This record gives sequence, C-alpha cells and structure tokens, in this order.
Amino acid sequence: MENPYRTVYEWKERTGKKVVGCYPMWLPEELVHAAGLLPVVVWRSDEPVTVGHAYVQTFNCGLTRSFVDDAVRGKLNFIDGFVIYRTCLQAQELPFILERHVRPAYLEYLYLPAIFPGNATKDFLIEELERFKASLEKFAGREISDDDLRRSIEIYNENRRLLRRFYEFRRKNPGILRAREVMAVVWSSMLVPKEEHSSWLRELLSELEGRHEELLKERRVKGDLKVVLTGALCQTPQFEILDMIEDLGMVVVDDDLYVGYKYFANDVELDGRRPLEALADRYLRRKPTCPTKGDWEMNWTDEVVDMVKRNDADGVISLLIKFCPPHLCYYPDIKRGLVQAGIPEVMIEVEHEIVSLEGVRTRLQSFAEALRRGA
Amino acid sequence: MVEKKRYKLNRLETTRLIGPLVDRHWAELREAKERGEKVAWCSGPLFIFPYAMGMKCHFMAGYAAYCAGRKAGDQVLEAAEADGELMDTCSYHRLHTGMAAAILRGHPVKKEVILPIPDLLIIGRLCTEMAHYAEALHRRLGIPVVAVDFPPPRRKEDLPRLERFVVRQIKENLIPTLEKVCGKEFDEEGLRRILRVLKEAATIRNQCWEFFKLKPTPWTLWDYGVSIAPVFYMMGKPETVPYYKALLCELKERAEKKIPAADGEKYRLYWDGWLPWAFLGMFIRKFVSYGAVPICGRYPWEFFPHPEYIDPDADDVVQNWVELYYTKAQQAAVFMPEGALEEVTKLVEEYSIDGLVMFASRTCRAWNVGQQEIINEVERRLGVPGVVIEADMVDSRMVSEAQIETRLQALFETIDARRRRE
Ligand code: SF4
Ligand code: SF4
Repeated sequence: MENPYRTVYEWKERTGKKVVGCYPMWLPEELVHAAGLLPVVVWRSDEPVTVGHAYVQTFNCGLTRSFVDDAVRGKLNFIDGFVIYRTCLQAQELPFILERHVRPAYLEYLYLPAIFPGNATKDFLIEELERFKASLEKFAGREISDDDLRRSIEIYNENRRLLRRFYEFRRKNPGILRAREVMAVVWSSMLVPKEEHSSWLRELLSELEGRHEELLKERRVKGDLKVVLTGALCQTPQFEILDMIEDLGMVVVDDDLYVGYKYFANDVELDGRRPLEALADRYLRRKPTCPTKGDWEMNWTDEVVDMVKRNDADGVISLLIKFCPPHLCYYPDIKRGLVQAGIPEVMIEVEHEIVSLEGVRTRLQSFAEALRRGA
Repeated sequence: MVEKKRYKLNRLETTRLIGPLVDRHWAELREAKERGEKVAWCSGPLFIFPYAMGMKCHFMAGYAAYCAGRKAGDQVLEAAEADGELMDTCSYHRLHTGMAAAILRGHPVKKEVILPIPDLLIIGRLCTEMAHYAEALHRRLGIPVVAVDFPPPRRKEDLPRLERFVVRQIKENLIPTLEKVCGKEFDEEGLRRILRVLKEAATIRNQCWEFFKLKPTPWTLWDYGVSIAPVFYMMGKPETVPYYKALLCELKERAEKKIPAADGEKYRLYWDGWLPWAFLGMFIRKFVSYGAVPICGRYPWEFFPHPEYIDPDADDVVQNWVELYYTKAQQAAVFMPEGALEEVTKLVEEYSIDGLVMFASRTCRAWNVGQQEIINEVERRLGVPGVVIEADMVDSRMVSEAQIETRLQALFETIDARRRRE
C-alpha cells in the first residue's frame, strides 16, 4: 500500500478495464463492478496539499483537501470516472471541481438519501439506484442484467466474509497482526479487483489459521494492554499513529473504522429479492452506526461499548479526522457515554499534514499509563 | 496602497423599527410554553408547516443573529465547549448544544438566550449539518424528531424528482407528525394565510432590491440583512408588510434626494456566504473606510426571490411550497456551486458589482470548497475579481481583523489596477 496511485494504475493496465473512483463511504460499488468496470474507493494521499490550497480551505478534512489537490494537480487523470454522493457538505461540492480540473469521461453525482424513516426514503433510493445503473450502462456500453448484478454482489459478499474472518482472527489472536497490516489488508480491498483480493486473502487466512499457535508464541506486537479503535470516517489515518499505539504497549484488537470494520460489516442480502432492492437494503442498514446517515436514534456509543466488552479491551482510542463534521458533532456524546460506562478513552485528532507526531505520542503515552494505573 | 479614509455611513431610519419586532418574536417564543403553545426547533426550509399549525419556532441562523444581537454568542459557545463540544464544529450547532448545556447542566449564560425546550425537532436536511444538530439535541434532551431530506440539486434535470421526494416526505412524515404533536388536523388554511402575507412582503422586498441597482446605492446588504426576518422567521406575521412598505418609502425618498448609503461609494461588493451576525459592525466599518459597500449575496437572495411563484390558492399548496425550492424558483440550487455560479454571475451583472468577497466560515463546510473556483469563473466571464475571507459568523476567536484587512486591500488594489487600465 505504498502507492495507491500505482496500485490502481497497474490494475487498470493489467485488466484493461476502466477505473471508476467511488467516494466513500456507502456507494454500491457492486453496480460499477457489474458494468464490467473497476470500482476503487478514492483515498487520501499522504502528501501535503500544494496547488490545491487555492481551491480548498485548510479547515476541511484530509480526504477532501487531498482529493481536491490531486484533482487540480492532474494526479487523478488516469481514473476514467468518478461517482460522488452527498457523504457530507464537502463531498457535494467535489463534482464542481472534478468537472473543471479532471474532466473525467464519466461523472455521476448520487443523491443517496439520509436514512430517515418512511417509505419515501426507500422508494427514492431505489429510483436513484435505477438511474445510477442506467448511467453506468451508458458509460460502459453494456447492459447490467439482474444476473450480472447478483454475480457481482456474490463476489463482494465473499470478500466481506473473508475480511470478517480476518477480523475474527485478529480478535482471537491479539498481537499476531500489526494494526497497519490489518488496515492495509482492508484498504487494498478497496483498490484492487475484489476477485483477486479474495483469492489472496483466502491464502493468507489459511496460512494464518494454520500457523496461529506458532505465531502466537512469537507475537510481534508485544503489549500488556488491549485497545479498540473507533471513528476515522472515509480515510486512513497515518500508519505511524497505529505503530505508535503498539509501540506504547497497546495491542489493537478491533475497530469500527471505515477503512476497517465498517467497510465489510454487512453483506448485501439477496434472499431471492431484486438485487437492486437488496443493495438499497444494505444502504439502509442502521448498524454499524455511521453519523453521515442521519439516524438520530442510532447509538454509536453502545456499539463502542459492545466492542470493548466483546474484546475485553482496556480502553478506546477515538481517531477523529480533523474537520470531519459528522464525527465532530457526534463525538461529545461518545465521550460522555464512555465516561458513564466507566470505559477509558482518548481522542486523537488525525490531521492531514502532521508536522510532528510528538503531541500524539504524548497523549497516547499518558493514556497508556492511565490504563496501567487503572488496571 | 489603496486609499483609506473616513467615509460616512448614512444609516436608514426604518431599520430601527426591526429591533422591537424581532424582540417580540423571541419574547413570544420564550413565553410560548406558559401560554400552552407548542414549540419546535426547526432547521432548513420547513418552519412554515409548524407555523401553519400555530406552533412557535426557532432556527439555527435566527438564533445566531439573536445571540449576536445580545452579545451572548461567545458565552453560549463557551458553555458548549465546557460541555465537551469541539471548536471545529459548526458555530450554529455549538450555539444550540451550548444552550442545551446551559439548560441541562447550568452552564452560565444570559437568561434571555435560553429558549424553552421544544416539543419537536424538525430537520430540513438542506445542509447535512442540520441533521447533526437535531440528532445531538435529541440524544441530549430526548426530544422527538421528524426529518425531511432536502437535497440541494446539482443539475436542472434533477429538480423534478428531488421535488417529488421532498413533497412525499412532507406529506407522509412531517404533516402527520405535526398533527400528532398538536393534536389537531393540519391547518391548510393557516399555510395559505402565511403564504399570502409572505408573497406580499417578498414582492415589496423585491421592489426594495431594485434600489441596490442605483449608483451610489441608497442602502447596503447589511441593512437588508437586519431586515431579513420578515421573509424568514417572522414569515406570515401581518407587521412584516408595513415594515417593507416603510423601507420602500425611505429608499424612494433617499433616491430622490440622492442620499447614498455611504458617501463616496467606490467599490460595489458581492458578499458570499452567511452574514457574519456577530461582526456586522466591524465589517461595515472596514468596508466603508475604503468606500466599499456590500450590495448583494447569494444567501440573502435565497429568501423567496421569486414571489411570483408563491401561489396561496394553489390546489396543492404543499407542492407549491416545495416548487419554490425546486422546479420553479429553484431556491435550493444556490446551495450547490453549480447553481451558485449562475446566481453570482447574474447578481454581479444586475447590480454592477466590482468585486466578490467570499466569506468562508471556518466552522461551516457548506459552500467553501467551490468558492475559489467561482471567483475564477466569474473573473473569466465578467472580469470581476474576488477574494476569500476566512472567519466565522459568531466565534470571535476565528476572526482575524488583520487577515480581513489584507485580503480586502488586495481586492481593492486589483479593482483599482483594472480601472486604471480601462
Ligand atoms: S471524513 Fe468526514 S468530512 Fe471528510 S469526507 Fe468523510 S464525512 Fe466528509
Ligand atoms: S450551512 Fe453551515 S452554518 Fe449552516 S448549519 Fe450547515 S454547517 Fe452550519
């Protein structure tokens, strides 16, 4: 995962398929796949913003800033198409920039609705997906039959099953896998063809599962504390932060991050239904909680508490993407809820350009010490 | 260096009348519960529905202006932070959670900015943040929520289906909830009554807008900003019409007597983004010191620019309301950069604008990603330059006068240089 640009470019070359960048977090990539295209989830580059400064203010999240910067610098020109939806306020303005700077062959903006109760939501969502399907068909120059879509859904479900198995392995065998490796596995599934990813992941899992006792003995992450990660919408935090957590003796056993559990938590349940409707139902699922979806009755905190209990974790590390409004607005309630539940928590703000990680280290260090004192 | 001197600002008489009207609105809201009236906190373009039911309502932007007027903004924001709210969060959101913190945990704020806990939270999700605010209040205060997704349109061809979606949600979710909360049938006649008054008020307000075309202008965008309540949260009240009539009268008189808003008008400005409620005075003093006058902006022009489409006698009056945002007046389109670009271009031409000031609120992520691009396009189309100013509507810690000054000077220098070339 050194260079996502190259990874995607090479797959494009190798498969001869057109690449369609999908904005996180809930676009039904299966439809893009069923059109014979290569869907990838757009990412935050690790480079500092340069030319993009003129187009996007500093008080936007890392992904927004990095994506705009990539767009105006021409780094995204090899991507054939983009699909954006109303993830948040920033996302809805991106087509305007893409249209002017990248001029992709295909650009679709979807109005995926908030998951407010009532039939209007689902009907509108299905109408939107029908329209999306038609526009993909036009771009790809071929029809998407229900069978095509079912097949793509199966391929995606299979990958999600494997990723869940991979997470289960981490839960049961803390310390074998490094947090950065786990994240890289999930992230790569967003960037390469799912079929390839699954076959690779299957091999990895059988090796891990076969050798787990031996691996457990030589645990690579040595720590006396177990923690879970929460937050980080839409993008990866810097891998250095993950390393730092482990270096301080905290073993990451689970997470609900987007480049993590959120991405593969739910399958598309076909159950003999029209595949498009099944896709809509996955979108409408209220768990895992996503604060971009507008579900006021959800309780993210309860899910975090459950994750702590399930893993018998010592504490929670919130990774808050700096300037991410959906998370910002929710965070105070999570904090309060965890305090009430007696669960220690620390919040790390993930900035796009980190000048120095010292501040992060200090916070994490005192958190680890507090956990030890409490234990 | 651009010349800076003391230009005189000629204040309007009529705008003094708005204070008591606005005060009455908020007093009625505060006293509503005692009178046994139902209260809603509402975001986005839906408050006309609870109004039609006789509920008292308040809104995000309206409350920000109210707190600013009472110099209580920073104090309420402090209460929010003391309660765990993070500074990068939308100031409007923080004002509300700050008020909630004051109610729940007794964080000290001025008494008059505490509003009654509502019976209902109404989300009109024109901005996604508007949902977060109600969600947070629901989690903290346990108030019931009703929500309508209100997606701003990117392309013209999207308008009809978005409109259908919104109409359905209003009819299937909002209205039945209001009926339940108020214990009575939906008052369609009430809705028509409000629309009648609104149509008349907005029509006269449009006549007032015509005076912005005069050079020099007899009034400023700030004057209109403080006069916005009659087409906003005072919508439908009978006193709104006489207010705009008085304003129109004064503007006519000024035009006849050739009294400008600012002596020595040199630069006519377009203002993008929210009005900086807590800093209106600071900004206008700065502008006027350069002979600059803010004239128009897409936010204040969002408020029913096409009263001709308001049809109080329409067969389907709910449909008529939503058409104002979508297929007919397209008010929701300015929420997206595509629509904004067309709107800004139009305003710049109509009002002979010399420069664009794009106000980017540090805690509001609506509108600002596209702002520089809009400047570039307007420059290409019409040769009118612009600058981005980063500040906030309420949070004084995020407003740097020095930065504002430098950017404004740069803008005025560019305009001067162009004029010399012409
Ligand atoms: S991380 Fe947050 S702010 Fe950034 S794109 Fe995602 S939801 Fe929007
Ligand atoms: S538009 Fe901006 S200021 Fe208004 S609610 Fe949304 S984020 Fe807050």
